[in-house]
Amino acid sequence: MPAEELEQHLGLTTLEKAVRWAQSKSMWPDTFGLACCAIEMMAIVSSRYDLARFGMEAFRSSPRQADLLIVSGRVAHKMAAPLRQIYDQMLEPKWVVAMGACASSGGMFNNYTVLQGVDRIVPVDIYVPFCPPRPEALMEGIIRIHEAHLAGIPPAYERRHVAT
Amino acid sequence: MTIAPETTRIPGPIPTVLQVPEERRESGDVMQINFGPNHPSTHGVLRLIVDLDGEEVVGIEAVIGYLHTGFEKSMEQKTWWKGITYAPRIDYVGYQSNELVYVLAVEKLLQIEVPEKATWMRMLLSELNRLHSHLVFLGTSALELGAISMFWYCFRERDLILDLSEMVTGQRMHTRYFQVGGLAEDIPEGFYAECRKFVEWMPQALDDYLTLLDRNKIWLERTRGVGKLSAADALALSQSGPNLRASGVDWDLRRDQPYLAYDQVDFRVPVYENGDVYDRYRVRMDEMAESTRIVDQCLRRLERMKGRPWIADDRKVVLPPREELHTSMESLIHHFKLVTEGFRVPEGEVYVTIESPRGEQGCYIVSQGGPRPWRVHFRAPSFAALEATAACVNGALVADLIAIVGSLDAVMGDVDR
Amino acid sequence: MTDWSGVPGHVKHAEALGETTVTIERGQIRAACAHARDELGFNVLSGIVATDYLGWGRPGVSGYIGTAEGRDINFPATQGLQTLPELKPARFALSYHLLALGRDPRRVRLQTWLDEGDAVDTVIPIWPGADWYEREMFDMFGIRFEGHPYLVRLLMPEDWEGHPLRKDYPIGGEPVRFSEAE
Repeated sequence: MPAEELEQHLGLTTLEKAVRWAQSKSMWPDTFGLACCAIEMMAIVSSRYDLARFGMEAFRSSPRQADLLIVSGRVAHKMAAPLRQIYDQMLEPKWVVAMGACASSGGMFNNYTVLQGVDRIVPVDIYVPFCPPRPEALMEGIIRIHEAHLAGIPPAYERRHVAT
Repeated sequence: MTIAPETTRIPGPIPTVLQVPEERRESGDVMQINFGPNHPSTHGVLRLIVDLDGEEVVGIEAVIGYLHTGFEKSMEQKTWWKGITYAPRIDYVGYQSNELVYVLAVEKLLQIEVPEKATWMRMLLSELNRLHSHLVFLGTSALELGAISMFWYCFRERDLILDLSEMVTGQRMHTRYFQVGGLAEDIPEGFYAECRKFVEWMPQALDDYLTLLDRNKIWLERTRGVGKLSAADALALSQSGPNLRASGVDWDLRRDQPYLAYDQVDFRVPVYENGDVYDRYRVRMDEMAESTRIVDQCLRRLERMKGRPWIADDRKVVLPPREELHTSMESLIHHFKLVTEGFRVPEGEVYVTIESPRGEQGCYIVSQGGPRPWRVHFRAPSFAALEATAACVNGALVADLIAIVGSLDAVMGDVDR
Repeated sequence: MTDWSGVPGHVKHAEALGETTVTIERGQIRAACAHARDELGFNVLSGIVATDYLGWGRPGVSGYIGTAEGRDINFPATQGLQTLPELKPARFALSYHLLALGRDPRRVRLQTWLDEGDAVDTVIPIWPGADWYEREMFDMFGIRFEGHPYLVRLLMPEDWEGHPLRKDYPIGGEPVRFSEAE
């Protein structure tokens, strides 16, 4: 077969792009549901919002098998240490979604016990606002991570020089 | 009713900690495992320190506090009105019940009269929320025991309920729709037809669930006879709600100490005898059917009340309608005072209890006479339910532990507040 | 009706808004609870709640900027309260909410007053469910319960200092404007 015809039957890409495509199409989240946002996080797995079309319905219980940490809910100071441990146990590349107002900034709880934003202890890729965010909003956040990764933007721990 | 020391399964000397007996520990086979705050069961951040001898659980201690949010102290800093936003996030699955108990407590101190339409709508939304809570319980508990498809079925109905909630209030969860004095807004016109459709669909969905689970041999084997809690133990451990009714105690606050308009609707209270996981599941399934009937009755009553007021008229507590602000000076002043300072609640203390989907939810309020609470305390039914873990788990296997903790239906936001 | 004066340690009882509050002497609370359960039929403990009355009746502080006690925008241009509420006998009030579950349901609140450093007898022998309630009140207020088999912190981390729900414990958190970007 001449080269031109052959090219029509092949897809050409670099190895990096292929790997990034595969990673973004199967980014498995970790079961890190803390509070009210966890219920809406469960809703995106449900049949109406269907996270499975992105290859993400496999919520892994072990952080060693997970790529995405969706911090859904308020993080008390007592929970901050386990959160960091879970984040450390995840293998690179890994992404973090701060879901909801409480994870992004402490939300309505500006007091002695709630961590004012998980970006104090883990580098966050995307913040999803509202209390709790609609399932569509969370999916928008996740899709933006996919797009960013496909475009070659490195995950947050390489960009943000904080809490790495 | 006193505890019979021979037949109680509550461990001693610490009632909430099952301690490994000395002879087991000496045999050298006991392993301590940490069911850490992050575990695949979707009950939130509960930590169980479990001692295992092979598969058998010989020691257990529950460590909580991983979701302590300081609600009670935060609410002391804000006005009474802003407390309504804090309240539903406590028991975030049965969110309407927290709002309701807080609003009822403030109204009791204020001695304000709530219009009938608001009472019936509150009842309708509370029962829809009971359905929501039991659906989430069923979906997640079945998921943990391996009946994975139940999750999708239950969440399909749950989304229908949240659609109704969004139609009325604009928010799926944590609606701040219950206000002191009534409701935040009028009921939109399209709601009645949609709710009617839901009420007609729901019994068929419940039939689906029963078909999937109730004669499934694996489900029955894993839930029958597991995690028994006797009636005397349940009362001694301050249990309430479905956990208490599954142990044989016929007690439902909606019927026995009625609030809202529960004495004007017709519903059955399911009570089962054995106190095991299966009975707790059956109580909640039956309650879902009864809630659908209550929603139906409320809907019929509300359809006859269109056009009536939905919030009390007391301008010292309730915001005036916006149209009045352009014409009336007093309304403007009232609006200003209510938004900046907030309404003042007379001095006193009050304790109001309602039947939330988890049991007896109580709100204890102390007022100093000012615009902010002095003390707000929520009596959490999940707190008491988790205290019963050690008693239920006495002698169970590890796999049963998951079933038992799931069946107690504890929401960690409610436990830790 | 119920004879409240027969309860051991009875100081006074009052009815307000349909609820009965019986004030009990601190040392007799366990006997009072046993009497309530055995003689009067209050078989369920609904909850144990403590309240800190430090600063009760003090006029509020106006202004947008907080004082040493914290932010206080809710007293604009006033001195707080028009009438001062009556003073309380001690700093902490410990309320036991009891329920008589059965044909004739009744509720009562047994209330006892204590100062900082005072201890109260545990009621675990009467209702084992009081375990975590007492631990929570110890954690949040620092009230010690004599005879409690495992009085350690429940909600806060074990090494936490201070008792958060006391009125002299600050709300914490951080100022929202110009917070240090870390």
